[in-house]
Amino acid sequence: MPDIGGDPLFVLEFGDILHYYTPYTITLFLLALIFTGLAIASRPERQIDIAFGGDAYYAKETTISEMRFRRFMAIACGLATMGAMGSGDIFNFTLFVSLVGIANIGIVAAVKSRHVLNAAYEYGIVAMVATLPLFGGAALVAATTGTLAISVLAGGGFAVPLVAKAFLALGVIGEGMAPFYAAKAEMFRAPGAPYVIMCSLSSLLIFLRVVEIVITI
Amino acid sequence: MLIITRISRVLSNFKNLAALFAGACIIVSLVGILSLPLAFEENQLYPKTQLDPSSALYPYDRGGVPFGTTEVICQYPENSPYAGYVTTYLTPLSLYLAENTLYIGTTIVAHPGGIIDEILYNTRGADTVVETSILFTAFAIASYLYRREEE
Repeated sequence: MPDIGGDPLFVLEFGDILHYYTPYTITLFLLALIFTGLAIASRPERQIDIAFGGDAYYAKETTISEMRFRRFMAIACGLATMGAMGSGDIFNFTLFVSLVGIANIGIVAAVKSRHVLNAAYEYGIVAMVATLPLFGGAALVAATTGTLAISVLAGGGFAVPLVAKAFLALGVIGEGMAPFYAAKAEMFRAPGAPYVIMCSLSSLLIFLRVVEIVITI
Repeated sequence: MLIITRISRVLSNFKNLAALFAGACIIVSLVGILSLPLAFEENQLYPKTQLDPSSALYPYDRGGVPFGTTEVICQYPENSPYAGYVTTYLTPLSLYLAENTLYIGTTIVAHPGGIIDEILYNTRGADTVVETSILFTAFAIASYLYRREEE
């Protein structure tokens, strides 16, 4: 398997769908695993706004139900990221990426704050629309090569069109927003630190993974 | 004003996000249209054959004998020695619906990824697991947001 990640350390088989872990992807996998553990174990941060020019301050409380829901979404996002890191099948990878996008929306949608929800709305539109280039890219790969397994495509002999790779990358960018942090910067103003950082980390990891896939196939 | 300042000012406003992404999609789509025609690989691993409009599972009826082995092309045949059990994947309720109505085949499309779900094939069970996870996550978000109104 001549890919940039190195030789697979071990392979997990689900029928035609292989999950394989190279030194590159296992590093990303462990990063997602550790951060998911941190999101489970840690308590949400408490933001304090200080009213300038006076002694007053506002403490923003995160309610228990909101905290529980966002923790659940952060765990779902972490599991989806871990799945996307190891997936050795293009369509399976796109499914995990769209799960990451939906879980990201869920993390910020629970916040009761106008400016956060405004940013989350814009991000949600992009994440929903991004499924079109994402699955379109996977469909183009399936149609032009006849197979979806990354290890088989990496073996050579297949002409994966450039536009399919571009669609895949564009879809992942839209789901995770890794290069465009404009909306995410707004969303990070939401109280509850470990959960919102999960959005950022997952989008970074799926972007690193799609770069590897696009170079490999 | 430096051009980088202007670019970063446009990028920093999240209201431009959807427009930016739409522009990127348009550019890539134009490149894709210009690169047409793309050759279709005849030797598909997951072919679309045996479509039977009268079947209750249409267009997801992949055939196969329940509790029997059907000849299936696999990427990794050694991983699926018992390939061909596709119609036995149905739960008893789905089997009842498939036998008595004509609509079980169309309900599978009601989730993300359903459009190219037709490539779903006997040996691709992990896809189905992830698809339903997407569906349940979306339901969890929707139900939380709906019930939050009652607080």
